[in-house]
Amino acid sequence: MLRLINLITHFLNHWFAGPVDALLYKLGIHPQHPSRPIGNTLTLELIVFAGMILFCILVRSSLSVEKPGKPQHLAEWVHEFVEGQAQQVMGHGFVPHLPVLTCLLIFILFCNCFGLLPGIDTPTANPSVPLGLAVFTFLYYNWHGVRKQGPIGYLRHFMGPVLLLSPLLFPIEIISNLARVMSLTVRLYANMFASDLLTLVFFSLVPLGIPIVFLGLHFGVALIQSYIFMLLTMIYLAEATAHTEH
Amino acid sequence: MSLNHPLAAILRKLEKNMRTLQYAFMALAALFMASPAFAQAAGGSSTANSWVPIGAGIGMAIASGLCGLGQGRATASATEALARNPGARAGILTMLMLGLAFMESLALFTLLIVFAKVK
Repeated sequence: MLRLINLITHFLNHWFAGPVDALLYKLGIHPQHPSRPIGNTLTLELIVFAGMILFCILVRSSLSVEKPGKPQHLAEWVHEFVEGQAQQVMGHGFVPHLPVLTCLLIFILFCNCFGLLPGIDTPTANPSVPLGLAVFTFLYYNWHGVRKQGPIGYLRHFMGPVLLLSPLLFPIEIISNLARVMSLTVRLYANMFASDLLTLVFFSLVPLGIPIVFLGLHFGVALIQSYIFMLLTMIYLAEATAHTEH
Repeated sequence: MSLNHPLAAILRKLEKNMRTLQYAFMALAALFMASPAFAQAAGGSSTANSWVPIGAGIGMAIASGLCGLGQGRATASATEALARNPGARAGILTMLMLGLAFMESLALFTLLIVFAKVK
């Protein structure tokens, strides 16, 4: 399995090392090995991405109202789960956000679960991946908040309900919003990295039997962390796009 | 002096304070005697006498312990609420998961600092 991933990474580097290096140098980043700037992480992310697209194509091509097949059942179950959670958290106006929320959930879930396969590092244990997801979520909910309430209205919602307390509340709200990027990143990254490390440490101590428990823990944590990421995105969206009714 | 004499209560409290102070000083003395441990950590970090490994261990232990306390309280509340109102299972579970994840992330911030500071 690891050899297959390494092979795909090798081919990606062979084809794309030039353009990727040019982009990195423009951004001021100097990769350690300019001949292979792409790592296994990107390969695994692309595999999850391709898998999700293939699944969606499969479901779309076999949609049927009278006799739904198994892919359709799975897709409907995921959709109902995300819709139920969004309704609980956001109340109304959640329908435009369902695709992004479902993508976040499924992408993070499968990226996390890739770490269960022996020899493969979890893609989300590389700090860049949760950082990218967190930055995307931050931009997404801020963009929708500004779109819904206008820039002035959005800044005004940071001031809190009572105008007298707003000089105190405004910096606190701004800082707590900026800290959300870090907290989303660190929560996902540290959970996955710690589970990987724990499995490795116990594998080096007792190679037979005990690491299964930690693989189970990694799986449970993978499920919970992907659900929490989606739930937090919903909560931030609800907070950013609320407040239009007084 | 009999045990019910008013001054006996004050004497007992004084004795308890003295004993606590004794324990505190013994612990401090033990910590100061730990300097031979630095002899082994010579090649580990930037200076010869580095408190970083001890600090990392104690810091992580405190963070994990307090996280465990907090999560225990949250789980206890959630279990009690579920026992009182089994119909509210979905909402209670959602809030429990959210609370547990927040507390976990606080302990993991400490782990992050440990990884950032320990070479």
